[in-house]
Amino acid sequence: MILPVGPIHPGLKEPLRLKLKTQGEKVLSAEIDYGYVHRGIERIMEGKTWQKAIYLSERVCGICSYIHTQTFAETFEKIAGEQAPLRAQYLRVLTNELDRIQSHFIANSTYFKALEHETLFMYMLSLREPIMDAIELLTGNRVNMGWNVVGGVRMDAKETHLQQIKEIILKLESGYDKYVEMFEQGPLVGLRSHDVGKMSREQAIKARAVGPIGRASGISYDFREDHPTYRDHLDFNVIWRKEGDNFARTMNRFDEVPESIKLIKQVIDNIPSGDVRKKIDIPAGYGEWSNEAPRGEVRYMIESNGNLIRKASIRTPSIMNIDACAKYMLKDVATVADAVATYASVDPCIACAERVVIIDESGQERNFDGIHNIQLE
Amino acid sequence: MSSVIWYLYEFARKSWAESFAGAATDPEIVETPDRFRDFPQVFPEYCISCGACTSACPAPAAIKLIRSEDNTEEEGKAYPVINNRGCIRCGFCAEVCPTDPKAITCGENHLIKEEFTIIPVAKSYIIDDYLCIRCKKCQKVCPVNCINEIENKMEVDQSQCIACGECLKACPVKGALKAISASTIQEQKEIINLTVNTLEQLIESKRDAITKLAPEKLFKIELPLEELLEKARGIISDEELIMETIERITDRLKMRIITWDDDKCQHCQLCVKECPTGAIKYNDEEDVVERDTQKCIRCSTCYQTCPFGVAGYYIAKFLLDKSETGEEEILITLKPAELPIRG
Amino acid sequence: MLNAVKDVIRKSSIHVCLINTGGCNGCDIEVVALLSPRYDLEQYGIYVHNNPREADVILITGAVSEQWRDKLIRIYNKAPQPKIVVALGNCPLTGDVFNQEGCSVYAPVSDFIPVDAEVSGCPPRPSEILAAILAVGPDAIAAKGRQK
Repeated sequence: MILPVGPIHPGLKEPLRLKLKTQGEKVLSAEIDYGYVHRGIERIMEGKTWQKAIYLSERVCGICSYIHTQTFAETFEKIAGEQAPLRAQYLRVLTNELDRIQSHFIANSTYFKALEHETLFMYMLSLREPIMDAIELLTGNRVNMGWNVVGGVRMDAKETHLQQIKEIILKLESGYDKYVEMFEQGPLVGLRSHDVGKMSREQAIKARAVGPIGRASGISYDFREDHPTYRDHLDFNVIWRKEGDNFARTMNRFDEVPESIKLIKQVIDNIPSGDVRKKIDIPAGYGEWSNEAPRGEVRYMIESNGNLIRKASIRTPSIMNIDACAKYMLKDVATVADAVATYASVDPCIACAERVVIIDESGQERNFDGIHNIQLE
Repeated sequence: MSSVIWYLYEFARKSWAESFAGAATDPEIVETPDRFRDFPQVFPEYCISCGACTSACPAPAAIKLIRSEDNTEEEGKAYPVINNRGCIRCGFCAEVCPTDPKAITCGENHLIKEEFTIIPVAKSYIIDDYLCIRCKKCQKVCPVNCINEIENKMEVDQSQCIACGECLKACPVKGALKAISASTIQEQKEIINLTVNTLEQLIESKRDAITKLAPEKLFKIELPLEELLEKARGIISDEELIMETIERITDRLKMRIITWDDDKCQHCQLCVKECPTGAIKYNDEEDVVERDTQKCIRCSTCYQTCPFGVAGYYIAKFLLDKSETGEEEILITLKPAELPIRG
Repeated sequence: MLNAVKDVIRKSSIHVCLINTGGCNGCDIEVVALLSPRYDLEQYGIYVHNNPREADVILITGAVSEQWRDKLIRIYNKAPQPKIVVALGNCPLTGDVFNQEGCSVYAPVSDFIPVDAEVSGCPPRPSEILAAILAVGPDAIAAKGRQK
């Protein structure tokens, strides 16, 4: 039978329709309907100045709103051939990593909610709150921060802010292992996570899975390795695993948090003094830039006529990951409950995914027109 | 069973009972940090009514300029009002506010250094040096002092301009100071092309009547605007801008209408070389000279070049007016004295 | 007597259905943050269930996108009486930054279904949402129940 899940469903936090074809409890195949939160952001951006469009890019997605503004700003800096001052680059890393930590926590908490493991769900949320405090302390708002501008960041961080953030981070680090252990060693959580929703490395490459989902399947690549600030000034490890199941994806996110904490400590200890912002004259031109969002690669392609945006195109990670989920992970899932958990484990962000041009396998480009189905092969 | 005992043991403790009885919301969750950007606060007494905040605001429904009522002593003052239902709390309005002290404050955003407050302008103001009489009235009224005299020319510093439009009101010479909507240049061009071509086709269709006209009489045609507007709306949705563009075309009062008589053409191709925009092309296969009305700028160079009188021109005058029924229309007037000599 | 009992029951157990009708997700995340032990929405007897059929409060976050125009009314009709609709954030109120030329949103939400309460902000802080919900929520539900 066909079992529709969503768009409003107790198990999903965002509107999306998952059609599961089932035989008894076993899931045979899955189909995904998008289009519930399509707002036409790329079209609105056309003919706007970057000062206005940067707030639009922030509202592409509410969970990883920070990285969108950073990528937007860095795309314009690429067009101008300049870089933000070093202090601004460090502050960007700081905010980016704080944002990554809170995003990973909320992703894992959603997974635990899908498993109905209320305790870990609550633990994750209570771990996340101090991080949100740190973000609000530094930028002035919890979710849509309004922190980046082309040429740097808006305000300087005071020494007291940095020390307070460091305190919060040290406090998080001191008790963190307990929660990881709870998940790693817990027999019941393990039973529902191990070997569920498996995706091999080849399949991940085929489905173009990115971010923690790709890395959990063995693609050991992180876009931060190529970012100039991370590459030249900071030191971190890329976390990756081989299993490719729900457990690996969740563990991968758990393990990336200490790396982010390491980066934040480096930033606070070594931050140089100086300006945080410089004026950049933007010439006419075309630029592309990629960054590692909490969910994977986010890419901005912007054509500017010097003053205004002529055409903007945004590629977000969720679309590839949801595609991978529907194509490979939901193929051999034993129960419907596991299918929902598997879907939650890819950390889908529907608000991100609603601006895609999907290339058919025949190579034909099809514009997004509200509804599009991804069929299982 | 053991778990029940454990629970009893856990919950029977005094500390647990105390904390259960005294459970309350932690006061710190409603406290906000210093930098928290709440809805912006407006201080109308500092406001210079420049409108920088409204033009900078990224949300369409967030900020509005309102005007208080006039009283006996002074005129009413315009100042911004924040609509909480539309405000996204980005603090950009506080950042761009040019007054000192700031008329809008929001979190710590109004403390951002002045050199970075770049306002995204919807209109750029440009001074036509040929028409400018250098009265410096615009310089005096500019609230942010962005108009300066440089090498005996008045110039607007675009990075400082807040697009308030004060200079345009003060300028005594029509056309010396222009406001250009920079974001839709291409669409405006299309509207101009559309209007000019529609007018030209209309006049060409009445050609027989024009040539038979008596010398002392005027020839008048009326073109209802509605049809033209309908087409223009397909290009751009901003009604105001469409009217402004059409007004600007008709304000020039006269236009050369180019006539093109293919029968007389001897294919000498002299005009092809002379045309400044490449609107005239020679088609090899069909052996004809073709004119592209979209590219033509009505300079009449082809008329001056052509030895056979293929190209001709006459001048038409326009006026944007309301007809008797109250609909907008374009009045077209032709004088026979300006009709083509080699018609 | 019966009404007083009903009032107590309605006030102390409020089921919320969260509908994102085309927003940026920020408000939804702030509602999830409200569930956290720090804010602990459930201590006030409010449960976020995401199920319209047992909802007392329909919480709408988002400007109405193309797909939601008919579905939103359907969901509203499915919720049992008494129900109140709360518009959370600026998207359902004015369309926020999305309500500009070239967009595909049909804000405000009040064009489609009646809205009883609103919380402005983009997004509002959890403490602001909490204050707004507690200010209107329980009493509004009880009052609506008495009308019938």
